[in-house]
Amino acid sequence: MSASEQHIGLDIAPAPGKKAPYRFQVGPIHPALKEPMMFDFTMDGETVVNVDLVGGHNHRGIEWMGMRRNPVQTLYLAERICGICSATHSFAFSRAMEDALDIPVPARAEYIRVIVAELERIHSHLLWAGVAAHEIGFDTLLHWTWKLREGVMDALEYISGNRVNYGMFQIGGVRRDITPEMVPKIHDYLDYYEGILGKIIHVFLNDKTVQMRTQNIGIATKEDVVKLAAVGPTARASGWKTDVRYNQPYSAYANLDIEPITPEAVRGEVVGDIYDRIIVRALEIKQSIEIIRGCVSQMEPGEILWEPKMAKLLMELKKRGGEGVGRHEAPRGEAIHYVKKVAGDENVTYWKVRASTYNNLLAWVPMLIGDEIADIPLIVASADPCFSCTDRVAITNNAGKTILTGEELHRLSVEKTRRLMQ
Amino acid sequence: MARLNKSFDKALWVFHVNSGSCNGCDIEIVAALTPRYDVERFGIKLVGSPRHADVMLITGPVTKKLSEKVKRVYDQMADPKAVIVVGTCGCTGGTFYESYTLDGPVDNVIPVDVYVPGCAARPEAIIQGVVKAWEKLEKLRGDSV
Amino acid sequence: MGETGEVEGGFGLRHYIERFTPSAEEFLRKKELTPQELAGWFAEKFGERVRDIVAKEKPEGTKGALRRTIWMNADREILRDMIRSLIDEIHYPHLSVISGTDEGEKVELQYHIQVYYGERATETTISVRFALPKDDLWIDSICDLIPGALISEREKQEMLGVDVRNIYDSRRYFLPDDFPQGVYPWRKDETGIKPEMVRKLSEVGL
Repeated sequence: MSASEQHIGLDIAPAPGKKAPYRFQVGPIHPALKEPMMFDFTMDGETVVNVDLVGGHNHRGIEWMGMRRNPVQTLYLAERICGICSATHSFAFSRAMEDALDIPVPARAEYIRVIVAELERIHSHLLWAGVAAHEIGFDTLLHWTWKLREGVMDALEYISGNRVNYGMFQIGGVRRDITPEMVPKIHDYLDYYEGILGKIIHVFLNDKTVQMRTQNIGIATKEDVVKLAAVGPTARASGWKTDVRYNQPYSAYANLDIEPITPEAVRGEVVGDIYDRIIVRALEIKQSIEIIRGCVSQMEPGEILWEPKMAKLLMELKKRGGEGVGRHEAPRGEAIHYVKKVAGDENVTYWKVRASTYNNLLAWVPMLIGDEIADIPLIVASADPCFSCTDRVAITNNAGKTILTGEELHRLSVEKTRRLMQ
Repeated sequence: MARLNKSFDKALWVFHVNSGSCNGCDIEIVAALTPRYDVERFGIKLVGSPRHADVMLITGPVTKKLSEKVKRVYDQMADPKAVIVVGTCGCTGGTFYESYTLDGPVDNVIPVDVYVPGCAARPEAIIQGVVKAWEKLEKLRGDSV
Repeated sequence: MGETGEVEGGFGLRHYIERFTPSAEEFLRKKELTPQELAGWFAEKFGERVRDIVAKEKPEGTKGALRRTIWMNADREILRDMIRSLIDEIHYPHLSVISGTDEGEKVELQYHIQVYYGERATETTISVRFALPKDDLWIDSICDLIPGALISEREKQEMLGVDVRNIYDSRRYFLPDDFPQGVYPWRKDETGIKPEMVRKLSEVGL
């Protein structure tokens, strides 16, 4: 195939006298970690016919920084890769270090790690649900879900002392214990969610507005997500049972029976649209509550750190060498860290971080193609890249002149909802 | 700086820019807007265009790819305006204290009025920062009248 | 640069994702092997071109789950062959990521591949290391076999300076457009980040 045939701009020949296809860009200001995005669309009228992704705006050189710091400092840096998945990256990084340097983790610490990671999943999924509601133009639902989200933020603050960047993880364990006195309060938070979750799921799955805007829109098939190596709810919503907690159980997840959630459970079939992604995330909140309850009941008293003395820990880390991989199922899907440490080297010699959205980027292409401009904010949000991207986008024409602001794009999306309601 | 008009007495509209932050402060900004902290009751509102905004809330250590865009957003805001840096990494670099791809801290790129440290800054701290900017803008009005 | 989708004024990924659509059969599990058997399969299939195969089964938790991993070194010439054989005889591989390190005379790439996903506790992580001499720094692209590899391959081009042969899209992804050519952030030699390029944010304004 020649190069010219491959360019999508030439796939649709412009009709005589018309200027289609035309191009516009969305972005680049976008908050996700390594995935801040500019979308370069080729449009035919209202329909997306092609899309290119331009990224790297958030590239802070974190891996390079990590190679200049000792493993414990790097752990805190890893936590700050993403403020939404701060447990994710510290989890994956500690596991990679433990794998590389052969460090055992006390059983109690594994449970505490999982509790924090699952609380994070609840907060992340609720955050996502609010954003999706906002993109539809259903702001009541946004404010409602964010109000509910404060419950889990309180729980995280109660356990770790922080709302964001919990600072719970340490190589070879966790830094804070969950004492028996804390358990009833954790159950209170879970009861709160259990009581209200049915209502949230009901609104998201049965509300007519949500259904109209999400069903059969932004479809990615199972073949698409497998070949594009997508991960997490984005992949599961297309019917692919992929979940590190299930495929390759680790930490305390290995002691619990976790089934990956796919949309058949509710819908009876897999469509792979935005609605399916809502189903998967909504049911995962429920699953997380069960996992936390399981952890709290199974947890036995014991050590929480392999080496509590920092100086000794650093010395031991310096002495050891090896290479290892750590994986964790983040709210957005598999996150993987690779580390290599040369014995005697004080710093992490090599560090590679792969966040979940990195693998989900290409899955946007099949989702976006064939859909309308007004659906773009919702489709982009449906892969949960991070919430506020579409708030601050600007659409430009070829000359780079702004013709549509993010606000207007949002307005288009809201208008589509109104149109469908009539 | 231009004279403040009357509408300033009631409400501050803020525009949020992410200059390469980790999202931690960004979600806290949204948390400040939603029911628990509910700053909208004070008329503080997040707007979608810098041209409508009185205050810029900026997070992150300013990556090289975004520093020009941050300057452009700042220029698009109408005077009088205030800039609030939210988060330690925007104030001093914080945990990203050295890098080959950062142009920060924020005050190296655009003038800053209020610094809100914290990693991530709590919603209460962000609200306090906005109030500080408000005081500053009020004072400016006193000076120019 | 071979087959690319780049033309004047635009670039689209539609053709990229549509040009390769594996059949449902290609996604199936072909042969169920334990890590040790899989190591044997590699040794038999590629002979001396794969070395130092280490297959591990590490227990996780109390319910007897095993974390299965295989590490090995291999010649870069067999990369495409290896992926093709995995698709045809084992299971369609899920490429987690390609990581890379600077080993002085050589650059080493590690392909982290998962097979046997989709069932409880059967997933096996295969990490294959390829050593590439710095004066002849290339590897074949696998983005026509696993389209999901594109971003990872682009990253290796800009971060380590590896020439990924026949990559569909060779533009930079992470680094700014005005970032100097010939500087690769992950390299630890003279092509790495130079001290004068590093900005000390904490010292600004002191």
